[in-house]
Amino acid sequence: MNSGVQSIGGVPVTTRLAMKMEDSLQAFAVRAACFIGELDVPFSEEFDGHDYGATHVIAYIGDEPIGTVRLRWFKSFAMCERLAVMRRFRGNNVGQLLLERCRQLAESRNCNMLYAQVLPSDTGYWEKQDWRRLVPEAMSSGPKPIVAMIKPVDPDKPMPEVEAPEAIVLRREPTLDSRGIPVGAIAN
Amino acid sequence: MTVLATDRMSNRPVVTIKLASTSDELLQCYALRAAVFMGEQQCPYWEEFDGNDYSASHLMLYVDGEPAASMRVRWFSGFAKLERAIILKRYRSMGLFVPFVEWARDFAAGKGYPKAYLHGQKRLWEIFEKQGFYKVNEQPFHFSDHEYGAFACELEVGENAPSVFTDPMVLNRPEDQLDRPGILEQSMERGASNPHAGWTERRAN
Repeated sequence: MNSGVQSIGGVPVTTRLAMKMEDSLQAFAVRAACFIGELDVPFSEEFDGHDYGATHVIAYIGDEPIGTVRLRWFKSFAMCERLAVMRRFRGNNVGQLLLERCRQLAESRNCNMLYAQVLPSDTGYWEKQDWRRLVPEAMSSGPKPIVAMIKPVDPDKPMPEVEAPEAIVLRREPTLDSRGIPVGAIAN
Repeated sequence: MTVLATDRMSNRPVVTIKLASTSDELLQCYALRAAVFMGEQQCPYWEEFDGNDYSASHLMLYVDGEPAASMRVRWFSGFAKLERAIILKRYRSMGLFVPFVEWARDFAAGKGYPKAYLHGQKRLWEIFEKQGFYKVNEQPFHFSDHEYGAFACELEVGENAPSVFTDPMVLNRPEDQLDRPGILEQSMERGASNPHAGWTERRAN
């Protein structure tokens, strides 16, 4: 896997963590373009309340934001989600670059597992980047079936015990602020 | 804030139009524009977010509470410029555009602006002309890959439009609700304790 500097048309692609309001806005704009504009996801589903407890990674070509991924931090793993690359820049491994930046960030925080929920049709993309299925079968998080996938941050270190992360992360969004047991546990 | 189609017994969607007045509503506005201009029309980020967003008013339209359309208004001497008007794909063909532009014109007229102005994409010229806009001149121009014409429309400014002689507390109200008491009028109940007076006096000495 090539994780070095990549370029599109001779212009290098760089990644950066969102540090300022304007950076976050760029991440949100890329996601809005891809998920709301292209895939017709409703605004309130896309901006689900988790954006202000997460780290946002942004990919740039020059100073143009062209891709983003959101990283949420849990006790034993970091969750990569909302991976988006602007349509006209796809096919240039920008997603791979963003996920590699996630891996490095997790490594720097002594976190040894990346976790993602992937549409069944997208699993090949992730498997090519050394992700593997947490459990063989697809699960359901609301109406869409998803596949839970994981990747070790450092393949030479053992992965932590998997503490059924799905029970934490699949919590229904309106209950984000409520106490008690998450209600969105996976129905296997 | 305006609520259209208020017949709540029917299953028609409830359409609400208001001035974006919180950072959440601003984010909704930006997300909608990104979806349409960057996602659908391939506009680069820095052309869409051109630096004028923080000197403008942003109008939001909601369908059953979900952000559906937005418009940016910038204020020039003597006219209001309507721009960045979009409707999210799934809410098109609902007839939202005309009442939204109508609301924007009323909003500008309510602030005392006698004229609305816009750059209309060529495919929409007919609609604007039907809505009472006229071409400012015959000079088309183009930017961000689209051909435009400059249109204007006279607005009817009522007697109650704000002026320097308007009740000061009316000018303090939220700009899309100039006809209703605002939060600062409620604060008048607290009286004038001039909490900084002591500090100012110390500075003066």
